[in-house]
Order: sequence, then C-alpha cells, then structure tokens
Amino acid sequence: MKNKQKNNKQIAITVKNLHITYRGLKKTSIRASWGKLKNKVELFQALKGVSFEVEEGKILGIIGKNGSGKSTMLRAIAGIFSPDKGSIDLHGNSISLLSIGVGFNKKLTGKENIYLSGMLLGFSEAEINKKEKEIIDFADIGDFINKPVKTYSSGMYSKLAFAITAILETDIMLIDEVLSVGDKTFKEKSYNKMKELISDEHRTVIIVSHSLGTIAELCNEVLWLNDGEVKMIGTPEEVLPKYEEFMQ
Amino acid sequence: MNRFILNLRKYYKYAVYSAKAELKSEVADSYLNWLWWIIEPICFMLIYTFVFGVVFKNKEPFFASFVFVGLTCWEFFNRMITGSVNLITNNRDLVTKVYIPKYILLLSKSFTYLFKMSISLIITFALMLYQHVPITWHIIFFIPILIVLYVFSFGLGLILMHFGVTFNDLSNLTNIGLRMVFYLSGVFYNITTKLKGTLSHILLFCNPIAFIMNELRKVLIYNKFPSFVMLIVWLFVGALLCAIGVHVIHKNENSYAKVI
Repeated sequence: MKNKQKNNKQIAITVKNLHITYRGLKKTSIRASWGKLKNKVELFQALKGVSFEVEEGKILGIIGKNGSGKSTMLRAIAGIFSPDKGSIDLHGNSISLLSIGVGFNKKLTGKENIYLSGMLLGFSEAEINKKEKEIIDFADIGDFINKPVKTYSSGMYSKLAFAITAILETDIMLIDEVLSVGDKTFKEKSYNKMKELISDEHRTVIIVSHSLGTIAELCNEVLWLNDGEVKMIGTPEEVLPKYEEFMQ
Repeated sequence: MNRFILNLRKYYKYAVYSAKAELKSEVADSYLNWLWWIIEPICFMLIYTFVFGVVFKNKEPFFASFVFVGLTCWEFFNRMITGSVNLITNNRDLVTKVYIPKYILLLSKSFTYLFKMSISLIITFALMLYQHVPITWHIIFFIPILIVLYVFSFGLGLILMHFGVTFNDLSNLTNIGLRMVFYLSGVFYNITTKLKGTLSHILLFCNPIAFIMNELRKVLIYNKFPSFVMLIVWLFVGALLCAIGVHVIHKNENSYAKVI
C-alpha cells in the first residue's frame, strides 16, 4: 500500500524559475511623475529564480533570514503577487494563506463576520453554513458571537479569526509563522488543531517560520532561502544543522 | 472577458453580502440609524430648493422634484467616482492578504450606492405625487436610463480605481473634476432653458451626467420620450470603459499588493 502511494506521487505545487521584483507600479504623485522618464526606477529583487516542487500531503518548511523572500514567496503562491518571470502551478488545488481576521468588519457581529471572511476566502454561503456551528464551538467565545466584533477583547478576536481559518480548510495551506493565539488553553488547542490540519495526509502545507523547533517537529521537507535564492532543499535532518551553522 | 464573468459568478454573493454588511455597519451605532438614509437626501433637496428656488428665484415648474431627480442621479455618480479612487488603498488589509478580483470591491461598493439611490428614487416619486407632477407611462424609461448611468459610472470607476493605486493625489484631481461636472450638469437649473444655443448642446453632448439627468427629467417630469440613440451611444461608451477597466485590472491587480 505504502509503495503504491509512493509510485503515483502527485505533485501539488510546482514553482518554476520564480522571479519577483518590486518595482513598476511605484507609488507616485502626479508632480513626481513629470520627471519620471529621467529617473531610473529602483528595482528590488525579492526572488531570483526559485524552483521547487511539493508533493501532495507533504509539509514543506521555508527558512531563511529576514528579507530573504519567504513571505513574498508565500504570497506569490497564494496568488496575491504576480510573478515577474517563471510560473506557479497549483494543479487545480484550492489554496489559502492562513491569515487572521481577513475582511473583518468590526461593527458587525461575530456570526456575520464568519460569513464575510469565509466568502472572501472563496467559500460558498452553503459551505459556511455547514461549518458555522463547528467554528462557533471551536472559537468558544460564548454569547459574544452575537455581539459586534469591536466589543471583543484582542484574545477573543484572534480566537474567532483562528477558528474561521482553521475550520474552513483548503487543499493547500500556506502558513506564515505557526499561529498560537489566545490564553494558555486556547493556545494549546489551536496548536493541536494546527497540527491536526497540517498532518492530514491529503493536505499540502507550506510553513514559514523562524522557529527551527516548529519546523523540525512539523515538516518533512525544508527549503532554505537566502537572498531570494534556494540555498538548500532536503529533509530537516540535512538542512537544519547547516542552517544553524550558517546563521552563526 | 470569460474570466470576468467567471469571477463575477464566483464572487457575486460575496459582493452582495459585503455590501449588506457595510450598510448595516454604517448605521449600526448612529443615533437615528437608517433614518439618515432618508433625512440626508431630503435635507440636501431642501437646501438646494431654498437657495436656487427662493433666493435665486428659479421659475422651473415642480422645482423640488426637478432638483431631487438631479440630485439622485448626481449623488450616485459622485459616490461612485469618489469611492473608487481610494478603494484599493482603503482595503489594504484585504488586498495584501487574499486574492480577490479587485473589481469585486467596486461592485460591492456600487451595490451600497445603488441601495442609497433607490431610497432617493422612492423619495423622488413621493415628492412627485405630493407636487401633483403629471405622471404618464413614459416614467418606465427611467430604468434603461439608470442602467446607462450605472454602466458608465462603473467603467469610469474601474479606471480611476486602477490609477488611484499609483497616484496619491488622484483624489484631489477627481474632486476638482467632480465639482466642475456638478455645476455643468444642471442639478439645480435647466440646461436647455437657462443656457441657450450651442453651449447647452455642447454640454448635453459631451457631459454624460448632464445628458442622463436631462433624460431622467424628460421621462419623469415632462412626459417625453428619451433620446434612444444617444442613450445607446453612452451605453456603448460605458461598456467600452468597463472593458478597458477590466482589462487593465486583470493585467495589474496582482501588483497592487506590492505598492500599497
């Protein structure tokens, strides 16, 4: 059985020669743009030709120092940035970048925000309706679910936000720093939920983190980015010691 | 074009829901709540009627209705244009965190404006009844006229939304432009009778808002047919603007997150 699975490995994400440059649409005023033709446009290359593949069900960790292009890459895979060169193929999988409280309207109730946020993530009203109870149960904020979000404490806010993203699952999940929010019990609960989500064998996950402990615990593949280029890719056992050595 | 329709289908529900949410949150904690949607247009109408009807002695028949028709039309256009310029920057959170076709944001906004316009329209009709404006079946033509207004405003809004991302001061420019269009549209005077000859023709020909306002008054107050040819021309122009806007946004929308 295991062998069979190994033979028809399905690729979930293919990134080919990805280049991302910050430039072009630069914030400008009309006055400044008179002389624009003369001014040289500043370029910043965030990613310089990154290629890799992730198999379905694998958990890829991305490490690298600040400014090495990790978050840029996640956002590009999520479709928020467009690649300047190269391509990203998701093979038809649904994808979401786990981020907290997207599209919340603070004057509306928690319940209404579940729908607002969920629809924004590309779910239909019916799908959210099905999961609504589960989200409310998980968030565990009691009667506050029917009160405007602006009355929430910051802990309750992140609990609800986390519940929405965690319960409405997609085929591929992108995680920018593993989230653990709320008080101690909820922290544990959310970390466990996260682990459960991540280790689902059909779900492909990419995690960006600075905590090598988390990476070592959760991931089965590690990609090391340095100044927008792939420095190394391999199992955590191979990559992490070299990375630690390099950082010192 | 296909992509546009697909996206519309996928995100239409979101646009409606978020429009509702916005309307709800707008009145959530104000003292008079949704009554503001009615009080506000009525107050503006009273101000204009007083200033231009009483102070400047305008002899237009049914002047209050006349002003209200103009205001209804103008407010929608005004909101669409001012709303679209900073739409992307105002939704920074959204734009940098999830992918959403950016015209959906404008679509959702336009729904809230449409809602406000329909309230304003209902008040218009009530006012017309009160003033005993003779009402005939020509009145139904207000629907196609408003469709032309919507398509045109949406198209222009899309293009402004795109340039609003890169030009900080576009909103200053549009404010000046809007002010000019406001005075040249005849919200509180009748272009055809006040401005004689070529000037009125030029204004009605080149300024779609003046044209649409005039057509609206023709069908609502004067019991006349609208000029169908020009309506179709402006519908075509509006559709063209929409097509350009959608194209430009498809091409650039993923770069917006890098700018703001």
